Amino acid sequence: MDKLVTLWEGSGLYNLELGQAVMIMVGLLLLYLAIYKKFEPLLLVPIGFGGILANIPEAGLAISALDQAIEVAKPAVLQQMAAALGATLDPLANAEAWRESLKVIAHDGVAPDQVRAARDIAVGVGYSDGMLYNFYKVAIGSGIAPLIIFMGVGAMTDFGPLLANPRTLFLGAAAQFGIFATLFGAVALTSMGIMDFSLNQAAAIGIIGGADGPTSIYVSSVLAPELLGAIAVAAYAYMALVPLIQPPIMRLLTTDKERQIKMTQLRPVSKLEKIIFPLMLLILVALFLPDAAPLLGMFCFGNLMRECGVVERLSDTAQNALINIVTIILGLSVGSKLMAESFLAFETLGILGLGIVAFGIGTAAGVLMAKLMNLVSKMPINPLIGAAGVSAVPMAARVANKVGLESNPHNFLLMHAMGPNVAGVIGSAVAAGVMIKYLG
Amino acid sequence: MQDLELLQEGLALMALGMGVVFVFLTVLVISVTLMSKLVGRFQPAPVAVNTGNKSSPSSGSSAQNDEVMAVISAAVHRYRSSRRR
Repeated sequence: MDKLVTLWEGSGLYNLELGQAVMIMVGLLLLYLAIYKKFEPLLLVPIGFGGILANIPEAGLAISALDQAIEVAKPAVLQQMAAALGATLDPLANAEAWRESLKVIAHDGVAPDQVRAARDIAVGVGYSDGMLYNFYKVAIGSGIAPLIIFMGVGAMTDFGPLLANPRTLFLGAAAQFGIFATLFGAVALTSMGIMDFSLNQAAAIGIIGGADGPTSIYVSSVLAPELLGAIAVAAYAYMALVPLIQPPIMRLLTTDKERQIKMTQLRPVSKLEKIIFPLMLLILVALFLPDAAPLLGMFCFGNLMRECGVVERLSDTAQNALINIVTIILGLSVGSKLMAESFLAFETLGILGLGIVAFGIGTAAGVLMAKLMNLVSKMPINPLIGAAGVSAVPMAARVANKVGLESNPHNFLLMHAMGPNVAGVIGSAVAAGVMIKYLG
Repeated sequence: MQDLELLQEGLALMALGMGVVFVFLTVLVISVTLMSKLVGRFQPAPVAVNTGNKSSPSSGSSAQNDEVMAVISAAVHRYRSSRRR
């Protein structure tokens, strides 16, 4: 009978907490959105599955050896760890209370060497870091995965339309207003006492408006790792929603006549220009904004591999095999941050809300900037391509094209919209660099 | 009081961030335009495509190709020097 009780107490059903159950449902919801609604399935399938794995009770896939030991180890081990952490446990309280207090102690204000000592004890009695925890540490904690993805994006990007019409870079710059307006919005909500975000967290939330998955993950892993799960989910979910979010804003801000504006044919761009561009961008980054160097450096590297034409094998790997491998690991790592304690908070709703506002403001700023440029320049610019200034390559450009075709079925804006689109990638990486410099 | 400070910080970061993004991309626009002009001057776009296509098979090295290369480079040289005047 005792054995049966032990088995029951070791089962998932016995240990399932309400939060974990809810998070497993959230993971299933993400899988549903990915599989049936085709919301960025490449990312949301791994993220959703990772989220389910991370919330399996007792398995501790997403937590470190120390946390794992605190949660399930025998009282004797707990006492040992408390001694290593320099804390005393109330001998009258039961083991559950000990676990709670150890959890608090281990994460707040203890010297790193004490934490390490406690960890050594946990490892010594046979606990180890969870699989997803290791993934996270290697892929995101070190910053590698988002950067490799960025390299792959660079290898997939054709700067031709941008080089043919460099002024579209301004549209990519204007659309970054969404990032900073949202940052300010998050700070304003905090000062009104509705939410509670630090400036770092506000910056990480704002970057959702950059509509760039790897950039959002990179920035939040540096500035606010505790919000990473919610931010990554919001960023990818809204990127999938670009075709729904953008068109109403674009229609609201433009007249039918403006939407029909035809743009002049883009000039052909020579190969030499395409080779020089990533190098030039890299030098400018090195001169003016070294903090954007990890992101833009990898981006330029990927693009140079694509354009130089002598390392086709590397370029092919960067845009196919490598980016796929890294996407799997990145998705699972993000999923590991979908744990009940950090995700099921009122702040998550705030992040989701602010994220969509960031998208909207970015789109509007891009469109308005295009209208402004139309006033001052001779070459006509269709304001719709301004909306492509939020990155989300190539979805945003396709949306601009589609809305343009609704007004004039013979007006193809896709290539024109690719210019601001890739400019948006550069713009959001620059914005990320500024925020990391200012706050990091 | 502390809230006001946070708000100010947010505002400062917003202004600074937008400013830097715009300045950086303006510099980029200027340099791209300059670069395109320079490239266009030394290697006009249609010619660039042609030489790119021809020179890659010719690097497959044979005596004939060397002669062709010499003729092309002489022509390019004359073209450039005539253009500078």
